[in-house]
Amino acid sequence: MSRPAVSALHQAFRNSFAALESNQGLWQSELAECTPLLESLGNLAEQMRALSNVQISSTPLGAFPELEARLRFKLQEAADTVLQKLNEKMCRLQSAKDAISNQLWCVLQLYEQNETSLDLQAVTERSAVTPSVADMLEWLQDAERHYRQQFLQRKVLLQMVTVRPDDLALLESVPGRWKSLECPDGEQRVTETLCRVSFFLDLQ
Amino acid sequence: MIDLMEVTSSNRKCSAVTGSARKVRDNAADWHNLMLRWDRLSEEGFDVATSIVNTKRSQSEPLLVPEASPPSSSSTQPAPGAAELQERCLKLLNIMEKMSAVVVKMERLAASQEALRELEEFRSGSAGGAAPLFHSWTARQFEDTSRLLLSAFMEELKLKQVIVQELAHTASSDLSMVYLSCWLHQPFIPPQSRLTLEALLLETGHRPL
Repeated sequence: MSRPAVSALHQAFRNSFAALESNQGLWQSELAECTPLLESLGNLAEQMRALSNVQISSTPLGAFPELEARLRFKLQEAADTVLQKLNEKMCRLQSAKDAISNQLWCVLQLYEQNETSLDLQAVTERSAVTPSVADMLEWLQDAERHYRQQFLQRKVLLQMVTVRPDDLALLESVPGRWKSLECPDGEQRVTETLCRVSFFLDLQ
Repeated sequence: MIDLMEVTSSNRKCSAVTGSARKVRDNAADWHNLMLRWDRLSEEGFDVATSIVNTKRSQSEPLLVPEASPPSSSSTQPAPGAAELQERCLKLLNIMEKMSAVVVKMERLAASQEALRELEEFRSGSAGGAAPLFHSWTARQFEDTSRLLLSAFMEELKLKQVIVQELAHTASSDLSMVYLSCWLHQPFIPPQSRLTLEALLLETGHRPL
């Protein structure tokens, strides 16, 4: 009989979608807090570019022989502070992503344990309030993939800056590249998933 | 984390400290208050300096719509934004005067520390000034700290004076941005100056150990 297996899976799905809902909120708020940090970074990159474009010695600032090195140091220090804060945000984004991944892993493990007792009818059966096991698994996998990819892309971008701290062109491009990683469709699909399972979650 | 509250006579912690130590303690509180005042003036100055640069930038952009008045009319009226620019420059000059006054007070503090050290040396003979006034610092160390802070602020003041003179006359947007960067980031005030101030406050008992 597949009824106990399906019930167990349903419970696992309830836990997973509840976790998905809370972590979606966490993800969105942490990501929103990255925006002013990226603006600061862009601003600092602009200041560094202006400093590179100016021949300090042929300006009135030439009276201060150590000025260029000192200003460059301060700008780099400010950029390092912003990058550190961004890395803290990345840690929280990683927690949200990992929470969703762990839930998916639990569901998949449960599914595999009960494979033999789950026939095609059991996994495709659905009602007005309860989506099918197959659909819910697909939606959960899609959501997990979305957050995993989003996290990895952003992580790689920030790591590039860490590895090449003197690359001013790279630093200047970071805010634009970060913005281009936005995936409103992916977020929208997660929201739609949560809508589809809302009645199911209310059932106990 | 630096406590941004100003040390006043009402919240200055009273103690049985007398004589030179009392004066050194008061000087430490004054250093804290002066650096706080400097920071506030610097922030205010940055806002004004940014608005000067923005006003200049909007002035240099060509008019999209030709002027309605005929070209033969008298052109004694100042260009749009010139009065605004002048007002902001005056405001910045005013802030500079206040910052210069802060540095003058800092000079007096450093001079006071030097005099205190000389006094301690006179009292205690050649080995004088070697005994700590509070926990571990000698009068010489207080004097050196004051000199260190003073030289940083004096150099920074000179830089700000150059910026104030040049900012409104700079056509290059890159150079304008460098001036604003210099004002904001204060390259001659090293990051450890805040730590130095904290050490001074800890030593004199303004901060609990």
